[in-house]
Amino acid sequence: MLTTALVLAVAVPVLGALIAAAVPARPARWSAMAAAAVAAALAIRAVVTAFPGVYRSGLGGLPWLGAQVGHGLIGVLIDPLSSVLLLVVVVIGLLTVIYSFQYVSEANRDHSVMPQDQRRYYLWLLLFVASMVGVAISPNFLQLFLFWEMTTLCSWALISFYRNEQSLRAGFKALVMTHVGGLFFLLALLVLFTQTGSFDFAALARLSEGPRASVFLCLMIATWAKAAQVPLHTWLPDAMEAPTPISAYLHAAAMVKAGVYLMARSVSSGWAMPLGTGYALGAMALLTILVALSCYFVQDDVKRLLAYSTISHLGYVLLGVAMGALGSVEGFRGGVLHIVCHGFSKALLFFCAGAVAYTTGVRSISALRGLGRSMPLTAVAFFIGVLAVTGIPPFACFWSKFMLFAGALQLPGPSGPILLVVLLGETLIAFAWMLYVAQRVFLGAPSPAAENSQDPPLAMSMTLVLLMIGSGIAPVIGIPLVELIGR
Amino acid sequence: MSHVFLVETAFTLLLVGAVVSLVLARRRKLCGWTSFAFITVSAITIGGVVVDTFRTGGEPEVVLLQLPLLGASWTIVIDQLSAFFLAIAATIGVLSTLFSVDYMTHFGEDTVAKFYPVLLVFFASIIGVLVTSDFLFFLVFWELMTLTSFFLVTFERESATSQRAGRKYFIITHAATLCMVAGALLLWKDSGSFHFPAMRYALGTLLSTRPIIGHLVILLLLLGFATKAGVLPMGDWLPDAHPVAPSGMSAMLSGVLVKLGIYGLLRVFCGFVPISHSLQAWGIVIALAGTASLFIGTLTALMQADSKRLMAFHTIGQIGYICLGLGAGLYCLPTAPTLAALGLMGALFHAANHACFKACLFLGAGAVLYRTGERDMDKLGGLGESMPVTAASSTVASLSIAGVPPFNGFASKWLILVTCMLVGMTSPLFLLLGIVGLFISLATLASFLKVLGAVFLGQPEEGSEVSEVPLTMAVPQAVLAALCVLLGIFPQAPLRFAHTALANLSSVDLPPVHELLGGPWGLTLTVSGHTVGLWTPLAAVAALALLGALAYGIQRAGAARVRQVDVWTCGEEERAAIVRYPASSFYLPFKGAFHGIYPTLRVGIPSFPPSLRKVLDLDRWLYLPAAKAVERTARYVGRTHTGIPQVYLLWIVVGALAVMFAGLLLVR
Repeated sequence: MLTTALVLAVAVPVLGALIAAAVPARPARWSAMAAAAVAAALAIRAVVTAFPGVYRSGLGGLPWLGAQVGHGLIGVLIDPLSSVLLLVVVVIGLLTVIYSFQYVSEANRDHSVMPQDQRRYYLWLLLFVASMVGVAISPNFLQLFLFWEMTTLCSWALISFYRNEQSLRAGFKALVMTHVGGLFFLLALLVLFTQTGSFDFAALARLSEGPRASVFLCLMIATWAKAAQVPLHTWLPDAMEAPTPISAYLHAAAMVKAGVYLMARSVSSGWAMPLGTGYALGAMALLTILVALSCYFVQDDVKRLLAYSTISHLGYVLLGVAMGALGSVEGFRGGVLHIVCHGFSKALLFFCAGAVAYTTGVRSISALRGLGRSMPLTAVAFFIGVLAVTGIPPFACFWSKFMLFAGALQLPGPSGPILLVVLLGETLIAFAWMLYVAQRVFLGAPSPAAENSQDPPLAMSMTLVLLMIGSGIAPVIGIPLVELIGR
Repeated sequence: MSHVFLVETAFTLLLVGAVVSLVLARRRKLCGWTSFAFITVSAITIGGVVVDTFRTGGEPEVVLLQLPLLGASWTIVIDQLSAFFLAIAATIGVLSTLFSVDYMTHFGEDTVAKFYPVLLVFFASIIGVLVTSDFLFFLVFWELMTLTSFFLVTFERESATSQRAGRKYFIITHAATLCMVAGALLLWKDSGSFHFPAMRYALGTLLSTRPIIGHLVILLLLLGFATKAGVLPMGDWLPDAHPVAPSGMSAMLSGVLVKLGIYGLLRVFCGFVPISHSLQAWGIVIALAGTASLFIGTLTALMQADSKRLMAFHTIGQIGYICLGLGAGLYCLPTAPTLAALGLMGALFHAANHACFKACLFLGAGAVLYRTGERDMDKLGGLGESMPVTAASSTVASLSIAGVPPFNGFASKWLILVTCMLVGMTSPLFLLLGIVGLFISLATLASFLKVLGAVFLGQPEEGSEVSEVPLTMAVPQAVLAALCVLLGIFPQAPLRFAHTALANLSSVDLPPVHELLGGPWGLTLTVSGHTVGLWTPLAAVAALALLGALAYGIQRAGAARVRQVDVWTCGEEERAAIVRYPASSFYLPFKGAFHGIYPTLRVGIPSFPPSLRKVLDLDRWLYLPAAKAVERTARYVGRTHTGIPQVYLLWIVVGALAVMFAGLLLVR
């Protein structure tokens, strides 16, 4: 029963995608929404049913690969970790589709989209939803890898959606860089399979010391590429050429989270990450956080600023994962919780940026001023997003960041307090800058670009409101799930 | 009904009120009255809790929410200290909301949807801060309070000054909160819980096992709370944020919000830190910081011409007095509980008094602002006749803050300074601090004489049609002024409350209150059997009244003639407003002498050297060159594809020869 639901959660969006591609724009939108809603309902039901246990079921296999992987190579898995990703993916996916109803239309002042192109949009978007669901419910590395590469493909198509030179270039760059990561993933798979004869997550722990380090290293590079971590972070700011709902969904809430999910999964399957790689992961995460922070101050495009913020927050998640590898379960849970919290709040911020671009056609921070009067709802949403994402209580990211801070102190030796000081400093500076930007854009006397602006139409406003609520209650959903990890 | 139920009711009321006032926001006054009603009802509910707490003592704590993951749980307990501050918050909250009903009508541009709902949540978060006994949830409410007050401070959307001030406020206090987060986490690492008693225990253990970490924790908590309280140098946010907020909110900020910093300090230093010699050191630190604040804050206030900014600096100054009393009390806590009790009670009493007179002063400044649109005292004058209630209330409050008997400011300052002197018998440092405090009182008086003189005295502008503010704005001022008088004449009652609060909080046995303060009419300070101080406000009032009557009688008896003459302006004819003595002309020598005494911190946008930017731009020096290199190589290889069959045939022949050659080599 649960298996059927999960398989359907993958199949229905695929079906919806095919329908959307085949029919005219108007029914395409509705079929997309129906498919996303059904997938969300099925996935949520599956998560609720499986909670608080683990559900695993095999569907079939490739017998010629060998006895050990003969069956159960293709299947479904629901445990707290995958539930976290699954919930983020389906809920924000549905909201993205709803938001796109009006954003991806001819009325958009930033980029108007003709009806015939909208079909292409929903095709790729729903394929992406399906592949992300696939990533979340994969019971082993092989299936995970297949869906993983599908997300890369969808990301390429969606970044290049506008088909102008910049977006084609950005899409190609993203494809190449994330695919390089994918190749490292493949390498890791090959080593794992030749050494243990299995693709299971648990097989990582069965590796001997040397190969294990190299497998983890390869997985780490794959993660860095997918989650836009230093040194492979440069594709993400360029990917902001994509339509804003895509930036919100793929490049803040979902696809980049697949990267950190891979790492979280690898680390938590047996907690077998070698200490050296753990330290490397943590150090690179910290470096990413700081490098991304240093880029805040020179950004003029709202979306690029948000992209750097995303990079830095993915660094937080990976830092939490690294803490888990180094023995601090609290930090690991904080990192996983951050997936949910950051997903909602960053999607909210992107949707606000999209609403501003939709009504004014401008994304430049320096050209926008005083939008609060004409767009009160967007202003409130943006402020809540800023407060949520920078970790001001009682909003979402405070709770995950707090757990990360607490996790840092559980680390052995002096690294904990030093880490705490750095993280608190980063939090303060990032908060100060984001607050500054929010005040600049939404308060003050209106600039010429702000004239004739207004709050977005109903569907977009509704998603803003829902995400505002989500930015408040994300921890309520996330904490019961992450509590189960590492028990 | 249980306390927790009442607190929950107040909470619910405030949150419901926030939604209701948001819905009604289009109608300014209705929205104001609705919010006032909600705040009043919840304040009455809270008042019930306060009264019951003082009468019967606290109730056991109640757990509302568990978070086993972090060892945190939202526990609610109302002890006497919470009740003391709840009383302050409820009083000031109700009065400043009443004041705002009419006041908020004069902001034409900005909708009150940004004010009342946020104000109600702000009030709810204050209650949350005061009743929570778990540090994680305490921090949540604390920061909720900061963030709501940020939106209240930046109410005027289009004013760049208020945006900048609000930003500064939020960033500085958020930094303070992060300090507290770090401190709380360091304690959590040992205890695994954020519950106050567990943290107290953890701090005690930490101080004995790893004193450096222990003191670091205390320092972090001190920084966190002192920043909110407005102790210099971290209190630098205060003089910017107070003036730009709507006046009702300024009164809340100065009357309640900064007091919560004091609440936190009391919780930490009287509740958490074990009685030891290190507590004495922290007492000295707090007293020194307090004295620095009162010295710098008050003298800087002397130089201000903006009425609300002036009062904001005085907030720093008066918080300095509270910290001085607190520091002296903490210093004595291990050795001389009697003196400690006097100092701490003085501090707590001064906190309540400061809430009354400073709120009254801010409301007075707001009333003037409402009628004239001016905060610049150079442009004001002669309002005393047209605004009698405001003038009278402000005068009472000014005399109170300056510590003139028989008003409440005198009683509490007297207690603090007497404690300093008495402590000074054994440790001269406190004698010095007490003397500084004594003389700074004079500067306070001077500064408020300037305010009264510049705003209310002098000739009014000809043809000015300034009238008294409406009743809703006059009543809160009058009530606060009356409180200033009442608390001054009957200081026993609040001091008894303060004593109960402290006796319940501290682990030291404080002497019973009747031994400390003597009989019900006035204060008779007794230290180890000797009476060391005596203050009987009623006698003083009687004497003052008598002398006043006598002076009046003599004047009447002498029938002195009063001549009304115009100001002589060297024969020129000038308008009264031009020849008025302006506020900025007061105390010019002081301005010269103390110029630059106030330290301000300026932080710009961080800039990085361009070289670093280049290094970080991996695209430029790594990926793009690599991509170019791949492309070049591909082109190079591509050149072999000429499209001429002969050339391909040549390649085939060459290849075949190479293979044959290699094969021959291998076979041989």
